[in-house]
Amino acid sequence: MTGGVSLRDHRASILVSALGAAFGVALLLVSHLIDQLVRAATPVGPDGTLSTMLGAVAAVFVGLSLFVGAVVTANTFSTIVAGRTSTIALMRLLGSSARDQRRAVVREGLVVGLLGALVGAVLGSALVVVAVRVLVARGSLPDLEYSYLAPVALLPLVAVVLTTVVAARVGSRRVLVVTPLQATGAAVETPVEARRPRVLRTVVAVLLVLAGSALLALGVVTGLTDATGVVVAFLGGIVSFTGVVVGAHAVMPRVLRLVGRLLGRGQVAQLAAENALRQPERSTRATIGIVIGVTLVTTLSVALETLRGVIRGLVDQDPEYFAQLDAAFTAVLLVMACLVGFSAVIAAVGMVSDMSLSVLQRRRELGLLRALGSTRSQVRRMILAEAAQMTVAAVLVGLVLGVVYGWAGAQAFLGTAAQGRLIAPGISVPLLVVLAGGSALLAGVAAVVPSRRATQVAPVVALSTR
Amino acid sequence: MTTPAPAPDRAATAVVARVEHVTKSYGEGDGRVDALRDVSLDLRAGEFTAVMGPSGSGKSTLMHITAGLDSATSGRVVLGDTDVSALGDDELTLLRRRRIGFVFQAFNLVPTLDVSGNIELPFRLDGRRASADERAWIDRLVGILGLGGRLAHRPHQLSGGQQQRVAIARALATRPDLVFADEPTGNLDSRTGRDVLEVLRAASGEHGQSIAMVTHDPVAASYADRVVFLADGRVVREVGRSSAADVSAAMLALETVA
Repeated sequence: MTGGVSLRDHRASILVSALGAAFGVALLLVSHLIDQLVRAATPVGPDGTLSTMLGAVAAVFVGLSLFVGAVVTANTFSTIVAGRTSTIALMRLLGSSARDQRRAVVREGLVVGLLGALVGAVLGSALVVVAVRVLVARGSLPDLEYSYLAPVALLPLVAVVLTTVVAARVGSRRVLVVTPLQATGAAVETPVEARRPRVLRTVVAVLLVLAGSALLALGVVTGLTDATGVVVAFLGGIVSFTGVVVGAHAVMPRVLRLVGRLLGRGQVAQLAAENALRQPERSTRATIGIVIGVTLVTTLSVALETLRGVIRGLVDQDPEYFAQLDAAFTAVLLVMACLVGFSAVIAAVGMVSDMSLSVLQRRRELGLLRALGSTRSQVRRMILAEAAQMTVAAVLVGLVLGVVYGWAGAQAFLGTAAQGRLIAPGISVPLLVVLAGGSALLAGVAAVVPSRRATQVAPVVALSTR
Repeated sequence: MTTPAPAPDRAATAVVARVEHVTKSYGEGDGRVDALRDVSLDLRAGEFTAVMGPSGSGKSTLMHITAGLDSATSGRVVLGDTDVSALGDDELTLLRRRRIGFVFQAFNLVPTLDVSGNIELPFRLDGRRASADERAWIDRLVGILGLGGRLAHRPHQLSGGQQQRVAIARALATRPDLVFADEPTGNLDSRTGRDVLEVLRAASGEHGQSIAMVTHDPVAASYADRVVFLADGRVVREVGRSSAADVSAAMLALETVA
């Protein structure tokens, strides 16, 4: 096979890897700049701790967004491979081996990763340089001879290329099961994805969730008398959330089904609910990134809001001091939320692309529905309901988890300050507004392009044999 | 050549669909291709009509236009007393939902719905459940088609023949003015194909269902009350009920002339 890589298929994946790369480069450049600022301000001499710490924090955030990006890309690749089944089958029929075919897909992943890294590097550095110029011009930053050359900023680029290749490999597993016979096949309807039993994975996930929850509870209890409980609770949070992500294949389809029921019993709602569930693994991977982002943002917000409530009680007599603290809180929250929320943006790109691809691959079915008497507006509503179902499910799970984690963290940290009493979790109105607005926006965007495509499908498409 | 006997007279000889001077062209100027050239055809109530022709004869295009799935370049199609060619997309959609039934060669069923969900789809798209009367008819169809034990199955759990029976049940469920069948046996083995054709013939003969079937299979056409031959975008011949051998002979004659 001459590796004619069609970049059209990969626009979403290139965007995802470019976003990840831009984020990584920008974050590392910013910590490099902060380091320079600190050095300039403290003539005593460099102390490596700060830059190491900044680097570590940046690594966590970049790692997170790269992980989400990899999940998204793996999903996109597996969807693309599913759409290419007949081409792959033809190549197999003509004598190409399954491994050759898979290697070709992985090569596409490499090209996507390289392109994304390149675009992201340019974008990320440009953003930082422009931001610094603006801030210096406004007098917010001292006018120093800033150096933008940070070799360490190459790391996220390498990581982006690597994760994209790995994601392409994971996503192309399906190539191996395409048989040459499928090229000769008369139009066979794609069966609902066979549910592979994932026993080991489920067991590991359950164990992680159980152990993590136990640690979380232990942290909260310990926190009533000893502030070090927060460390235990933090550990518990990480372990149990890892469990949730590992076991997402068991969690998300159930939540999707539940949310699907809320859509109503009409035919359009019912079709939409079934569509979001027809490939549980794909829907899981399309939503888990959003779950991760929303969970982390909510955790941060709830923890800080709870903390804020307690501190307000403590420094009641000094409103000026509280106002200062409050401003600092808000600033920290905003910065952290943006850093964490970035992975949610990447996940959102993934969901939009998943919706578009799935509509493209359902052309015949959409034609059938139109032939049997679905109006364009019914098709449009069906797609919107699908997008809404996925978004609402993901945001709800994230919200619930985030409230639990945020509260547990704050409780463990402040249990002693509250004289061993339980504190109510603080859920801020802005958080709910942002989540609700973000969900509506995401569902809308994820539905608009696919539904335009879907309503353009002519009913005659259902009659064609291929 | 012997002229086959004309179709037996029926009580209802009203016309359900009338194709009037329909022409369909693709492209412009030198690249212009005429798929249909001035085709006129009446489809009569309660009759099982087969439209036959070699590949490229325009038979599929004719069906698409008659069913309101495609528009004619000129001429018009009247279904009952509705001028199909004058309808907008939403009106056409409602027409398909309520007054036309479809059976396709393949991919007939919505994979996410079970058998009863597929059969009831046209009613549910209308935002309602089947009425008691319609329910009784559906139950009868399910019985006749032998789908009783399969109502909760999904399409991928059914054989090709069973899937086609479900599609037929769905097409007949709304008692439409006209059922269009596009190569309904094209994906089936010959025995299953014959079963499906028997069902269609019974629907027309015993229940007065008007059916138009596009096919290139002489055996399939031999189940029809009337066979219309298309070649090069024109109606070239028409016969009443004929044996498969006679239909084959007529087809061969067309091929040698062309």
